[in-house]
Amino acid sequence: MSRSALSLQPGHAAADRPRITLSAADRPRITLSAADRPRLTSPAAGGSRIADSEATGPAAPRPWRAAPAWLRRGAARLEPLLLPLALLGLWALGAARGWIPAQVLPPPVFVVDTLRDLAASGDLWLHVQASLQRVLVGFAAGSLIGLLLGTAMGLSRSVEAYVLPSFNALVQIPVLAWLPFVLLLVGIGEPLKYILIAKAAMVPVALNTLQGFRQAPAGLREVGQVYGYSRRQQVLEIVLPSAVPTLFTGLRLGFTKAWLSLVVVELVASSEGLGYLIVYGRQLFQLDLVMAAVLVVGAIGYLIDRLLDLAERRLAGRRAAAAPGAR
Amino acid sequence: MTETTVANELDLRGVGKRYASTQAGGGTLQVLQDIDLHVPSGQFISIVGASGCGKSTLLRLILGLDAQYEGRILLDGAPITGTGRERGIVFQDHRLFPWLTVAQNIAVGLRNAPFTEARKRELVAEHVALVGLEGFEQAFPHQISGGMAQRVAIARGLVNRPRVLLLDEPFGALDALTRSRLQGELQRIWQKERITMLLVTHDVEEAVFLGDQVVVMQPHPGRIRRTVAVDLPHPRNRSDPAFIRLRDDVLSDFLDPAERGPSEVLPAVPAPAIFPAPGRPLQLAW
Amino acid sequence: MASIPLDAAELAISAPLRPRGGRRWRGLVLPLAAVALWWLASRLGWVNSALLVSPIQVLDTGRELVGNGRLWLALRASLARELTGFGIGTAAGLVLGALLGLWPRFNRLAGPSFNTFKQISLFAWIPLISVWFGLGDVAKVVFLSLAALVPVVVNTCDGIRSTPPALLEVARVYGYTRWQTATEVVLPAAIPAIFTGVYLALIYSWLATIGAEYLLVSGRGVGNLLIEGSEHFQMDLVLFGMAVIGTVGWLMNACARLLERRLARRFGRP
Repeated sequence: MSRSALSLQPGHAAADRPRITLSAADRPRITLSAADRPRLTSPAAGGSRIADSEATGPAAPRPWRAAPAWLRRGAARLEPLLLPLALLGLWALGAARGWIPAQVLPPPVFVVDTLRDLAASGDLWLHVQASLQRVLVGFAAGSLIGLLLGTAMGLSRSVEAYVLPSFNALVQIPVLAWLPFVLLLVGIGEPLKYILIAKAAMVPVALNTLQGFRQAPAGLREVGQVYGYSRRQQVLEIVLPSAVPTLFTGLRLGFTKAWLSLVVVELVASSEGLGYLIVYGRQLFQLDLVMAAVLVVGAIGYLIDRLLDLAERRLAGRRAAAAPGAR
Repeated sequence: MTETTVANELDLRGVGKRYASTQAGGGTLQVLQDIDLHVPSGQFISIVGASGCGKSTLLRLILGLDAQYEGRILLDGAPITGTGRERGIVFQDHRLFPWLTVAQNIAVGLRNAPFTEARKRELVAEHVALVGLEGFEQAFPHQISGGMAQRVAIARGLVNRPRVLLLDEPFGALDALTRSRLQGELQRIWQKERITMLLVTHDVEEAVFLGDQVVVMQPHPGRIRRTVAVDLPHPRNRSDPAFIRLRDDVLSDFLDPAERGPSEVLPAVPAPAIFPAPGRPLQLAW
Repeated sequence: MASIPLDAAELAISAPLRPRGGRRWRGLVLPLAAVALWWLASRLGWVNSALLVSPIQVLDTGRELVGNGRLWLALRASLARELTGFGIGTAAGLVLGALLGLWPRFNRLAGPSFNTFKQISLFAWIPLISVWFGLGDVAKVVFLSLAALVPVVVNTCDGIRSTPPALLEVARVYGYTRWQTATEVVLPAAIPAIFTGVYLALIYSWLATIGAEYLLVSGRGVGNLLIEGSEHFQMDLVLFGMAVIGTVGWLMNACARLLERRLARRFGRP
């Protein structure tokens, strides 16, 4: 019996031990792993670590706890809505009582009506379509270029050495600063929008792709070397899979930026689209139109972000299931 | 420096702990069951057991981080209530505040202690010296090694003169050499301060090396299997045959019978009566 | 909604990756070649357009602007607005973020609304802001404050809520009061995240400054220089303006990154 074997090994076969969910240190679930960290959006998980009530502490002696569970859950669901509803109420009241002139802030009903009219008359779809088309084309083009550029830089140090510094310098100039330049070059038509949105999307995609390639764990690559993987195999089977999550983050960020740039560009230089609607409404002092358009912008942005989030989660889920520890 | 007039006896009577768990049978998981432990003042008790036997949970209960349990935990005859300065702890991860210096980290232990600023400074300086870190008072945690950080954690645990110091696998995160050295340090500190210490570990040798008593725990649910008295003089010698005997005795509780090799050292057996000696059992010398 | 990984990715754009390996001169090859090509094209008239100004002309214009002080006036105006908005937004953001992080009830009530608000592209609010606050500096500063507010709130709140439970337990063991825990454990632990938020706020408010100058056209600023250049078909002005904007942005990044390194040493990384 060697000295080093004096620490206890679980002598019993792992098979006949019941599976416990306790952590190795037998700690109760006060400690949360990074995955469980509370997010701003989850209304029910607002537990402050500071209050730090024990996970199995005695029930709080408030009458609320005596209420039935379904009531509590329902109230918890409604809590995030309290503030917006209150603000909405205040807004409606202010408009109705004339505290706020309609020029400054139209009553909420006007906004809803305008929205409905827009939708009914088909104008809304026209503008939405214009905007979506621009953002999708721009995003696709920009992402493609970004992916190619990022991959080229990631795979070849020479390419990176030649290209990256110039790329970095150009990145420092925001999309908006490019606008007058591109405007002078191609005029005010569709290409202007496509180019600017593509530029906005390209930057994060390229940088994240490069980052993804760089982050391929050296340990795994060494395994590939030991087993005689050809360079091509290494790239396709080791480096690329490791790079995928970062790549996806880049795509998400690229889309967010693309959507943002779309709105700005349409505000400044466009004759159709959601941004145009906003400016048009502003010029005619039709604030209900402005607000309706802003709402639509927010809603679409939110939807697409959610979609991408879902896609990312599915991707992460599959990876976690397929390759434990191969990150 | 000890206040020997105050009896610092820790008493656990019938302590148990269970969790609601969807995986366990009956919907509850009994992590600890019927723990009866008496820790006399100034003693060093080692609790040893494999993962899952609830030993860390036990420490948390004694520390007061968890108030829901069955049974009673008494310090000096009075039940404990929540956390308190009279019970100190050294965690396995040192848990030093990264933005504070070594001295400031030790002072965290005195944050709400009823001492004057001057007395606090004195205490911090004393304990820096006690753990052998003079010269590093202004260093930050990221600048010192893991072993040194753990020493700071020990100093922090001791600085407000607790009556009981709990140690939760304090050396588990360190390499073997540092671990060995720190075990010696801890023994030296204990010998000097004679504070009641309760150490939880999965390392049998560490348990026997440091403890006056070794409490062996078994899992599912966590119970005390037996208690082994370690009646060896301090400082302990790891090569002492008596030490090795005791260590192997405790270790035998954790080994599969099939794993025990022929080289296992058995507990000393009194000499057979063939060679009677008047009034004195024969000492086998090896 | 994974806003923090996005923010981190955002930072990566602003603090771009450096090329690995030596032979730094290779990075200069492309730009030098491009400039040479550009100069040749303008010299030899390959492209027949008034828009093709030679690099020399850009430099001359630049020198002129610096000489007659117009550049400094514009820069000063833009930066003054930006720093004002940044200051207000960051201060308000720290307070709001701390409230959201430390007070669970407030988080439940206001958190989701804030999340929704931050989703809507900030520039979309400019027309409304222009109605309420006019077209001048006030409107711009309001807009910039909003731009700075959002990342500070998000990162502060997240940093506070990610306090390592291990450290919180230490505070409990040593009898820290709630206030002591909040100020002496949670906030210091959150400093790296808070710094990320402030860093992003600086970047966003700089971007917002330019945008605000396009959309709220009164007043002077670097963005206005660019607009003027595009309206009068003065490509040299436009190019020079772009270079200025890029340089300012780069300087801000460099300073912030330096600061971040010093902070990381003492407080750790987010």
